[in-house]
Amino acid sequence: MKEIYFTEENVAFNVEAIDWEDAIYKSVALLKKNGLVNEHYAQEVVNNVKEYGPYIVLAPGIAIPHTRPENGALKVGMSLITLKRPVYFNDTSAPVKVLISFSATDSEKHLNIIKIIVKIVEKGLIDQISQINSLFDLNDLIRGEQP
Amino acid sequence: MLKILVVCGAGLGSSFACQMSVESVLQDIGVEADLDHSDIASAAGTRADIIISGKNFESQFQRYDLPMDLIFLDRLVDKTEIEEKLVPVLKAKGAL
Repeated sequence: MKEIYFTEENVAFNVEAIDWEDAIYKSVALLKKNGLVNEHYAQEVVNNVKEYGPYIVLAPGIAIPHTRPENGALKVGMSLITLKRPVYFNDTSAPVKVLISFSATDSEKHLNIIKIIVKIVEKGLIDQISQINSLFDLNDLIRGEQP
Repeated sequence: MLKILVVCGAGLGSSFACQMSVESVLQDIGVEADLDHSDIASAAGTRADIIISGKNFESQFQRYDLPMDLIFLDRLVDKTEIEEKLVPVLKAKGAL
Protein backbone atom coordinates (compact mmCIF):
# COMPACT_ATOMS: atom_id res chain seq x y z
CA MET A 1 0.00 0.00 0.00
CA LYS A 2 2.51 2.58 -1.16
CA GLU A 3 -0.04 5.39 -1.20
CA ILE A 4 -0.15 5.48 2.58
CA TYR A 5 3.57 6.06 3.20
CA PHE A 6 4.81 9.48 4.09
CA THR A 7 7.82 10.57 2.02
CA GLU A 8 9.69 13.78 1.21
CA GLU A 9 7.36 14.09 -1.77
CA ASN A 10 4.09 14.24 0.17
CA VAL A 11 4.96 15.81 3.53
CA ALA A 12 5.79 19.41 4.59
CA PHE A 13 6.38 20.65 8.14
CA ASN A 14 5.69 24.08 9.66
CA VAL A 15 3.97 25.46 6.60
CA GLU A 16 2.85 29.10 6.82
CA ALA A 17 -0.81 29.64 5.97
CA ILE A 18 -2.74 32.88 6.41
CA ASP A 19 -6.17 31.23 6.74
CA TRP A 20 -8.03 27.95 6.19
CA GLU A 21 -8.31 28.47 2.44
CA ASP A 22 -4.60 29.07 2.13
CA ALA A 23 -3.94 25.96 4.26
CA ILE A 24 -6.13 23.86 1.93
CA TYR A 25 -4.30 25.19 -1.13
CA LYS A 26 -0.89 24.43 0.37
CA SER A 27 -1.94 20.96 1.47
CA VAL A 28 -3.55 20.05 -1.87
CA ALA A 29 -0.51 21.49 -3.73
CA LEU A 30 1.42 18.39 -2.64
CA LEU A 31 -1.21 16.13 -4.23
CA LYS A 32 -1.00 18.17 -7.42
CA LYS A 33 2.81 18.07 -7.44
CA ASN A 34 2.63 14.28 -7.31
CA GLY A 35 0.16 14.05 -10.18
CA LEU A 36 -2.72 12.81 -8.00
CA VAL A 37 -5.13 15.69 -8.74
CA ASN A 38 -5.52 18.38 -11.36
CA GLU A 39 -5.38 22.17 -10.95
CA HIS A 40 -9.09 22.47 -10.07
CA TYR A 41 -9.14 20.13 -7.06
CA ALA A 42 -8.08 22.65 -4.39
CA GLN A 43 -10.70 25.20 -5.45
CA GLU A 44 -13.36 22.46 -5.46
CA VAL A 45 -12.43 21.53 -1.88
CA VAL A 46 -12.73 25.20 -0.84
CA ASN A 47 -16.08 25.50 -2.65
CA ASN A 48 -17.40 22.38 -0.90
CA VAL A 49 -16.42 23.72 2.52
CA LYS A 50 -18.12 27.04 1.74
CA GLU A 51 -21.26 25.19 0.66
CA TYR A 52 -21.47 22.52 3.39
CA GLY A 53 -19.52 23.91 6.31
CA PRO A 54 -16.27 22.54 7.69
CA TYR A 55 -17.03 18.84 7.24
CA ILE A 56 -13.36 18.21 6.51
CA VAL A 57 -12.46 19.04 10.14
CA LEU A 58 -12.60 15.46 11.35
CA ALA A 59 -11.58 16.04 14.96
CA PRO A 60 -10.05 18.89 16.96
CA GLY A 61 -6.70 19.80 15.34
CA ILE A 62 -7.05 17.91 12.08
CA ALA A 63 -8.63 18.61 8.70
CA ILE A 64 -8.74 16.17 5.81
CA PRO A 65 -9.20 18.23 2.62
CA HIS A 66 -10.82 16.15 -0.13
CA THR A 67 -13.66 16.33 -2.62
CA ARG A 68 -15.50 14.08 -5.08
CA PRO A 69 -13.46 12.11 -7.66
CA GLU A 70 -15.11 14.01 -10.53
CA ASN A 71 -13.82 17.31 -9.10
CA GLY A 72 -10.28 16.68 -10.30
CA ALA A 73 -8.92 13.49 -8.71
CA LEU A 74 -6.59 11.52 -10.99
CA LYS A 75 -5.17 8.80 -8.70
CA VAL A 76 -5.56 7.66 -5.10
CA GLY A 77 -3.07 9.25 -2.73
CA MET A 78 -2.45 11.52 0.25
CA SER A 79 -0.30 14.32 1.66
CA LEU A 80 0.39 15.67 5.13
CA ILE A 81 1.30 19.18 6.24
CA THR A 82 1.73 20.67 9.68
CA LEU A 83 1.12 24.41 10.15
CA LYS A 84 3.44 26.91 11.76
CA ARG A 85 0.39 28.69 13.15
CA PRO A 86 -3.00 26.98 13.42
CA VAL A 87 -5.97 28.12 11.30
CA TYR A 88 -9.66 28.33 12.18
CA PHE A 89 -12.45 26.99 9.97
CA ASN A 90 -15.67 29.02 10.10
CA ASP A 91 -17.58 28.18 13.27
CA THR A 92 -15.45 25.33 14.62
CA SER A 93 -13.85 26.21 17.89
CA ALA A 94 -10.80 23.98 17.67
CA PRO A 95 -7.84 25.30 15.66
CA VAL A 96 -6.45 23.03 12.93
CA LYS A 97 -2.74 22.24 13.04
CA VAL A 98 -2.46 19.19 10.81
CA LEU A 99 -3.92 18.72 7.32
CA ILE A 100 -4.03 15.34 5.60
CA SER A 101 -5.32 15.84 2.06
CA PHE A 102 -6.29 12.92 -0.07
CA SER A 103 -7.69 12.06 -3.47
CA ALA A 104 -10.10 9.23 -4.20
CA THR A 105 -11.20 7.76 -7.51
CA ASP A 106 -14.24 5.90 -6.20
CA SER A 107 -15.90 5.35 -2.82
CA GLU A 108 -13.73 2.38 -1.73
CA LYS A 109 -10.17 2.37 -3.10
CA HIS A 110 -8.86 4.90 -0.56
CA LEU A 111 -9.95 2.68 2.35
CA ASN A 112 -6.40 2.33 3.68
CA ILE A 113 -5.93 6.10 3.75
CA ILE A 114 -9.09 6.52 5.82
CA LYS A 115 -8.00 3.70 8.12
CA ILE A 116 -4.71 5.40 8.89
CA ILE A 117 -6.44 8.76 9.44
CA VAL A 118 -8.94 7.16 11.86
CA LYS A 119 -6.15 5.44 13.76
CA ILE A 120 -4.17 8.68 14.05
CA VAL A 121 -7.26 10.41 15.47
CA GLU A 122 -8.37 7.56 17.75
CA LYS A 123 -4.86 7.15 19.19
CA GLY A 124 -4.71 10.90 19.87
CA LEU A 125 -1.57 11.48 17.80
CA ILE A 126 -2.56 14.88 16.33
CA ASP A 127 -0.75 17.00 18.90
CA GLN A 128 2.40 14.93 18.58
CA ILE A 129 2.30 15.11 14.79
CA SER A 130 1.82 18.87 14.91
CA GLN A 131 5.11 19.20 16.81
CA ILE A 132 7.17 16.87 14.62
CA ASN A 133 9.88 18.32 12.38
CA SER A 134 11.28 15.30 10.63
CA LEU A 135 10.01 12.63 8.29
CA PHE A 136 11.84 9.99 10.30
CA ASP A 137 10.00 10.96 13.48
CA LEU A 138 6.67 11.09 11.63
CA ASN A 139 7.03 7.61 10.16
CA ASP A 140 8.36 6.32 13.46
CA LEU A 141 5.24 7.63 15.24
CA ILE A 142 2.88 6.29 12.56
CA ARG A 143 4.67 3.00 11.90
CA GLY A 144 2.79 1.18 14.62
CA GLU A 145 -0.46 2.50 13.18
CA GLN A 146 -0.21 1.13 9.64
CA PRO A 147 -3.31 -0.90 8.77
CA MET B 1 -31.17 -5.91 8.48
CA LEU B 2 -30.90 -2.47 10.04
CA LYS B 3 -29.38 -0.07 7.55
CA ILE B 4 -27.25 2.84 8.72
CA LEU B 5 -26.01 5.51 6.34
CA VAL B 6 -23.18 7.87 7.32
CA VAL B 7 -23.20 11.16 5.44
CA CYS B 8 -20.74 14.01 4.80
CA GLY B 9 -20.10 16.65 2.14
CA ALA B 10 -18.23 14.49 -0.35
CA GLY B 11 -19.20 11.06 0.95
CA LEU B 12 -15.62 9.85 0.89
CA GLY B 13 -13.60 10.98 3.88
CA SER B 14 -15.38 12.15 6.98
CA SER B 15 -18.33 9.82 6.39
CA PHE B 16 -16.06 6.86 5.66
CA ALA B 17 -14.01 7.55 8.80
CA CYS B 18 -17.19 7.95 10.85
CA GLN B 19 -18.51 4.67 9.43
CA MET B 20 -15.43 2.89 10.82
CA SER B 21 -16.01 4.32 14.27
CA VAL B 22 -19.71 3.39 14.09
CA GLU B 23 -18.75 -0.15 13.03
CA SER B 24 -16.49 -0.51 16.00
CA VAL B 25 -19.17 0.82 18.39
CA LEU B 26 -21.72 -1.63 16.97
CA GLN B 27 -19.24 -4.46 17.42
CA ASP B 28 -18.72 -3.44 21.04
CA ILE B 29 -22.43 -3.42 21.81
CA GLY B 30 -23.16 -6.53 19.71
CA VAL B 31 -25.52 -5.07 17.12
CA GLU B 32 -25.40 -6.15 13.47
CA ALA B 33 -26.19 -3.57 10.83
CA ASP B 34 -25.61 -2.86 7.18
CA LEU B 35 -23.42 0.25 6.96
CA ASP B 36 -22.62 2.57 4.09
CA HIS B 37 -21.40 6.12 3.48
CA SER B 38 -22.50 8.76 0.98
CA ASP B 39 -22.52 12.45 0.15
CA ILE B 40 -25.34 14.69 1.28
CA ALA B 41 -26.69 15.25 -2.24
CA SER B 42 -27.48 11.55 -2.70
CA ALA B 43 -28.37 10.83 0.95
CA ALA B 44 -31.97 12.02 0.67
CA GLY B 45 -32.74 9.44 -2.01
CA THR B 46 -31.12 6.52 -0.19
CA ARG B 47 -33.10 4.02 1.84
CA ALA B 48 -31.80 3.76 5.42
CA ASP B 49 -33.21 3.29 8.91
CA ILE B 50 -30.75 5.64 10.54
CA ILE B 51 -28.66 8.47 9.10
CA ILE B 52 -25.59 9.67 10.99
CA SER B 53 -23.93 12.95 10.02
CA GLY B 54 -22.01 15.96 11.31
CA LYS B 55 -23.64 18.83 13.24
CA ASN B 56 -22.88 21.20 10.37
CA PHE B 57 -25.37 19.30 8.17
CA GLU B 58 -28.29 19.46 10.60
CA SER B 59 -30.03 22.43 8.96
CA GLN B 60 -29.69 20.92 5.48
CA PHE B 61 -31.25 17.64 6.62
CA GLN B 62 -34.16 19.43 8.22
CA ARG B 63 -35.02 20.89 4.84
CA TYR B 64 -35.33 17.38 3.36
CA ASP B 65 -37.94 16.30 5.95
CA LEU B 66 -36.77 12.67 5.99
CA PRO B 67 -38.67 9.82 7.68
CA MET B 68 -35.65 8.01 9.19
CA ASP B 69 -33.93 8.64 12.51
CA LEU B 70 -31.23 11.30 12.24
CA ILE B 71 -28.19 11.52 14.49
CA PHE B 72 -25.84 14.52 14.38
CA LEU B 73 -22.34 14.35 15.82
CA ASP B 74 -19.99 17.06 17.04
CA ARG B 75 -17.05 14.72 16.55
CA LEU B 76 -17.37 12.19 13.76
CA VAL B 77 -14.85 9.68 15.07
CA ASP B 78 -15.62 10.01 18.79
CA LYS B 79 -16.82 6.54 19.82
CA THR B 80 -18.13 7.77 23.16
CA GLU B 81 -20.37 10.35 21.49
CA ILE B 82 -21.46 7.84 18.82
CA GLU B 83 -22.44 5.27 21.45
CA GLU B 84 -24.23 7.89 23.59
CA LYS B 85 -26.40 9.04 20.68
CA LEU B 86 -26.83 5.74 18.85
CA VAL B 87 -27.83 3.46 21.75
CA PRO B 88 -31.16 5.22 22.53
CA VAL B 89 -32.13 5.07 18.83
CA LEU B 90 -31.25 1.38 18.60
CA LYS B 91 -33.25 0.68 21.76
CA ALA B 92 -36.26 2.54 20.39
CA LYS B 93 -36.02 0.46 17.23
CA GLY B 94 -35.81 -2.77 19.21
CA ALA B 95 -32.38 -3.52 17.80
CA LEU B 96 -30.79 -3.50 21.24
